Amino acid sequence: MAFDIIFGNAARAAFGPEAVILALAAIGLNVHFGFTGLLNFGQVGFIMLGAYGTSVTVATFGGSLWLGIPVGLFLALALAVAMGFPTLRLQAVMFAIVTIAAAEIIRILIGSTDAIGLTGGPLSVSFDAGAFFDLNPYADGPQDRYGVGTFAFTGQQMWVITVGWVLVALVSLVVFLIIRSPWGRVLKSIREDQDAARSLGKNVFWYKMQALMIGGVIGGMAGVIDAIKTSGADPNGFRPQVTFYTYTALLLGGAATYLGPVLGAILFWFLREWIESFLRQLAAEAWLPDAIADFLEGSEGIISVSMVGLALVLLMLFRPQGITGNRTEMQLDAR
Amino acid sequence: MGLALGLALLLAAPALAQDDADGDRTELNGTIRFGFDQFFGGVTITVADATGAEVGQAVTGADGRWGVEVPGPGAYQVSIHPDTLPEGIGLREGQEATVEAVVEAGKARAVVFAVGEAPKGTPFGKRFAQTVFNGFKFGLIIAMSAIGLSLIYGTTGLVNFAHGELVTFGAVIAWYFNSSWGEVNLIYAAVLTAIVCGMLGAGLESGLFRPLRARRLGIFQLVVITIGLSLLGRQLIQLFFGAEPLPYRDFQVQERWEFGPWAVTPRELTTIVVIIVALIMVGLMLQRTRFGKATRAVADNADLAAVSGINVNRVVLIVWAMGAALAGLGGVFQGLDSDIDPFLGFQLLLLIFAGVELGGLGTAYGALVGSLIIGMSTEISTLWISPELKFVVPLVALILVLLLRPQGLFGLRERVG
Amino acid sequence: MPDNPIPADDRAALVESARRTTEVEPILTVYPVPGVAKPNPILKVDGLRRSFGGLTAVDVDHLEIERGIVTALIGPNGAGKTTLFNLLTGFDRADSGRWEFNGQEVTSPSPDRLARQGMVRTFQLTKSLAKLSVLQNMLLGAPGQVGEQLWAAPFRWLWSDQERANTERAEELLERFNLAHMRDELAGTLSGGQRKLLEMARALMADPVLVMLDEPMAGVNPALAQSLLGHITALSLEGVSVVFIEHDMDVVSGISDWVVVLAQGRVIAEGGPWKVIHDEVVIDAYLGRRRTEAAS
Repeated sequence: MAFDIIFGNAARAAFGPEAVILALAAIGLNVHFGFTGLLNFGQVGFIMLGAYGTSVTVATFGGSLWLGIPVGLFLALALAVAMGFPTLRLQAVMFAIVTIAAAEIIRILIGSTDAIGLTGGPLSVSFDAGAFFDLNPYADGPQDRYGVGTFAFTGQQMWVITVGWVLVALVSLVVFLIIRSPWGRVLKSIREDQDAARSLGKNVFWYKMQALMIGGVIGGMAGVIDAIKTSGADPNGFRPQVTFYTYTALLLGGAATYLGPVLGAILFWFLREWIESFLRQLAAEAWLPDAIADFLEGSEGIISVSMVGLALVLLMLFRPQGITGNRTEMQLDAR
Repeated sequence: MGLALGLALLLAAPALAQDDADGDRTELNGTIRFGFDQFFGGVTITVADATGAEVGQAVTGADGRWGVEVPGPGAYQVSIHPDTLPEGIGLREGQEATVEAVVEAGKARAVVFAVGEAPKGTPFGKRFAQTVFNGFKFGLIIAMSAIGLSLIYGTTGLVNFAHGELVTFGAVIAWYFNSSWGEVNLIYAAVLTAIVCGMLGAGLESGLFRPLRARRLGIFQLVVITIGLSLLGRQLIQLFFGAEPLPYRDFQVQERWEFGPWAVTPRELTTIVVIIVALIMVGLMLQRTRFGKATRAVADNADLAAVSGINVNRVVLIVWAMGAALAGLGGVFQGLDSDIDPFLGFQLLLLIFAGVELGGLGTAYGALVGSLIIGMSTEISTLWISPELKFVVPLVALILVLLLRPQGLFGLRERVG
Repeated sequence: MPDNPIPADDRAALVESARRTTEVEPILTVYPVPGVAKPNPILKVDGLRRSFGGLTAVDVDHLEIERGIVTALIGPNGAGKTTLFNLLTGFDRADSGRWEFNGQEVTSPSPDRLARQGMVRTFQLTKSLAKLSVLQNMLLGAPGQVGEQLWAAPFRWLWSDQERANTERAEELLERFNLAHMRDELAGTLSGGQRKLLEMARALMADPVLVMLDEPMAGVNPALAQSLLGHITALSLEGVSVVFIEHDMDVVSGISDWVVVLAQGRVIAEGGPWKVIHDEVVIDAYLGRRRTEAAS
C-alpha cells in the first residue's frame, strides 16, 4: 500500500488551511472553556459570522475585503454580547444547550430562502478575494507546487497558510499574555468556582463576557480565513458538528494549555486525513473482497468522522487532559 | 481547488458530496423541497440560454434533486413547471416561475425555487386550528422522546447528547423491520423497536454509564462522551442506512377524517392516542408504584436512597431501558410524519432540550409542558413565517424565557453554600 | 505608620486594652433582647424575609450587628443561618426586606459589589480554587488590582509592582496561617482543615471590614480548630468585625462577644454568650422542648 501518499495527504491536511481554521477556532474555545469554564457549544456561530460578515460585505455590498474582515470580526464580537446577556447567568449545562441553539438560529436564518438577497441563502455566497491574493509573494502558476510528493501546496494555499499560521502564533501569544496576568487568574477562579470569585469581589458576569468576546473574535478570525480560502461561505459548513470537532481538537491537545489547541488542530486533521486516505487506498487494494471494497468506496468520510466520535469517547476515558495537559490537575476534578 | 469547501467538508452532508464530485461539469442543479423534510419528485425544470433556446430539461428524483448540464459558462433562464408540483403545493409568493442564473465554467450552480403550500384560500381560523393540531402532535412526540432524557438527568445527572441518536435508531430499526427484514407490519415493528431500543438503553447503562459513574467522572467528561457517542452513532447509522430520507412502507396514503375544523389522518390520531396513553402510564407509574417512588427518591438524593435500601443501579437501569424505548418510539412516530434519515434525531434533540429546559431541567411535568409549548410554537409560527424558519421560533422562545427565568418555567433556584 | 517606639508585645497588649474599653464594654451595656439596637452597628437588617415554597427560611424583623466585635450566629439545624448569610451577602435574593451595611443602604445586593465594599464571606463547604496554587488563591483576594483589567493585562510592567506588593502581603498572611510551606502547591491538594485556613486567609487579603464565616470550625480537627479560633480573635483585635455561624455552644462561648440565636428563621434571643447559653428559650429551641409541649 502507498503509505507515502497516505502520509503526504495527512501531513498536507495537518498544516493546510483547514488546520489553521480549526486551530484558531480551538484557541478561541480554549479561552471560553479551557480558561473560563464556559461550556460554549456554539463556537461555530462565531466562525459563521466571521465568514459571512467578510463574504457579504464584499459580495453583496461591494465593499473592499479590508472592510469585510473587520466587519466579520465585529459581528463575532456582537454575537458574543448578544449571546452573553441572556445566557451567562445560566448553569453550565443550560448554557451549553442555549449556545448550540443560538448558533443554529443564525445558521437557519442565514441559510433560508428569505435571506437569498443578503447572504445567498441556501445557495451559499461567493466573492472575489483578489485583494488578499494580490499580496501573494509565492509564484502561483498552474505548475507551481511547494512541498514533497502529496505533501504539497499551491502558491495560493501557501499564502493562506503562511498568513494563517502567523496569525495563529500571534493570537496564541496574546492569549498567553492575558491569561498569565491577574485578569487570567480571575478567569481561572471563575472556572473553578464562580461563587468563590464573587465572594472576593470579582464581577463574574463581566469577566465571563470579556472571555466570551475575546474567544468569539478569535473564532471570527477562523471564519475570516475560511471565507478568504474558499472565496465565500456556505450555510451547510456551519452545522453544530463543527463545534464538536473544535472540542475534539482542543481536548486532544489539552484544554487550558497554551499550545494544546494548536497541536490538537494539527493532530486532528492529520489523523482524520490519514484514516480517510488509508481507507481510500485500502478500497483500491485488489486482494480485498468486493463486498468490503464496495462498502468502503465513498464511505471514507463517514468512517473518519465516526472515528472522531470514537476518539472523543476514548480521550475522555483514558486521557482527559489531552496530550499536553497535566494529569494531576485533571484528577482534582474528581474530588 | 477540490478541497475548496473548507469547513463544509467536515460534514458528510450528501448535497456537498455531490457538488464536490461533479466539480468538473458545468451545470445547473437544485433541490425542490418544502421546509426541511419534504422533497418533491417528478417536477419538470427546463433551462434555456440567453437567446431563449432550450438547452436542457430535467425531472426531479424522489429526493427532489435535479441537474442540467449546460454547454458552457454564461447566463441561463431556468424555469419550473408549477403544474408538475404535487397537489396543494405551489410556488411561494414572490417566487417567479423563471429565474436567471449565471454559471461559471466547470462549476455547478444551484438554483432555488421557493415552493410551499399553494394559496388555497383556506380561512385563517381553519388553518390556525390545523397548525395547533400539528403542533400538539409534534409537541407530544417531543415530550415522549424527552421523558428518557429528563429522567436520566434526574436520576444520574447525566445530560445525554446522544439521546437524539436513540430516537434516530428507533426510527431506522423500525424501518428495517418494516421494509427490509421480513416486512413486518409497522405496528408490530414499533413494538419490536421499543424492545430493541430498551435493550440498547439498558446495555448502554450497564456496559458504559454505570462503570463510568463508579469511576466518578466529571460532568463535562460525561457530556463529551455522549457527544462522541452521538457522532459515532449518527455516522454508523448513515454508513448502513444511507443519507437519503426514506418512508415507512405502511400507512403512507390515508384518507383524512374531518372533525370540525380539523382534517386528521388515522395515522395522526393513533400517534396522539398512543403517546397520551404512554405519558399517562409513565405519570401513574412515577406517582403510584413502588418503582416510581424509588425513582423519585433516587432523583432527590441518590446516596440517601441507597442507604434507605433502594437499589439505585436497578432503578437507573429501568429508567434507561424505559427512556430509550420511549425515545425509539418517538423516532418511529417522527419517522411516520417526516420520513427517516440519519439526522432525524439530532434535529429533534435541540427541540427536546429546549422543551426540557423551558420547563426546568429535571422536572417531569415541566418537561411535558415545555415540549408542548415548543411543538405548538414551531407549527403555529408557520402561519406567519416561512416553514424553513419554523425551528427558529422555539429556540428564540427558549432564550427569551431563560432571560426572564434562568431556572426554566417550573424549576427551582439553586441554593448556594 | 511612622517609627513605632512601643515594642510589639506591648503594642498587642495596648490594642487589647483599647478594644476592651472602646468596643466590648459598650456592647455589654446593651440590653439582651432580640432586635435590640447597638451603639455602633456595622450591619442593620429590617424585615428580611425569604421562603422556599411554603417554608419560611428567614424571617428577621430587626437585627443589628455591632462593629469591631465577634458575633456568633447560632441555632439548630435548618434555623436559616446559612440562608441569612446568603441573603446578606447577595448570594440569594430576599422576598422582602432592607439592610444597611457600613452606614450605606444596600439597594441591589450583588455578591461582588458587597465584597468590594468590605463584606467578605467564606463558605460552609470550602471553595478553595483547586487548580490554582495556594499563592494564586491568595492573590485573587487582593482588591483593586490593575492587572485584573483587560486593557492592562497584556502589559506586565503596568501591574508587576502591585503584584509584588500583593505577593508579599500574601506571604505574610500564609506565614501567619501556617500555610507558607504550601505556597506553590495546588489548593486542591490541601487537607480540609488547611482549606478552611486558606479560605480565611484569602478573605483577609480582600481587606474586609466585616468577615462572615460560615461554620469555620465544621469538620476540622480539634488542634486546627483551636488555631482557627485564635485567628478569629486576632481578626477582631485588628478592628475587623466578624460574624460566624456555629453549632457548638462551647466554641461560641469561648470566643464571641455577642451571640445571636436563630430558630425557624427568627431571631429568638441575643446577648452576651453566658446570658444566651443559659437562656430558657434557647435551650428549648435546641432541645425542641416547646414543640413537644405543644404537641402534648
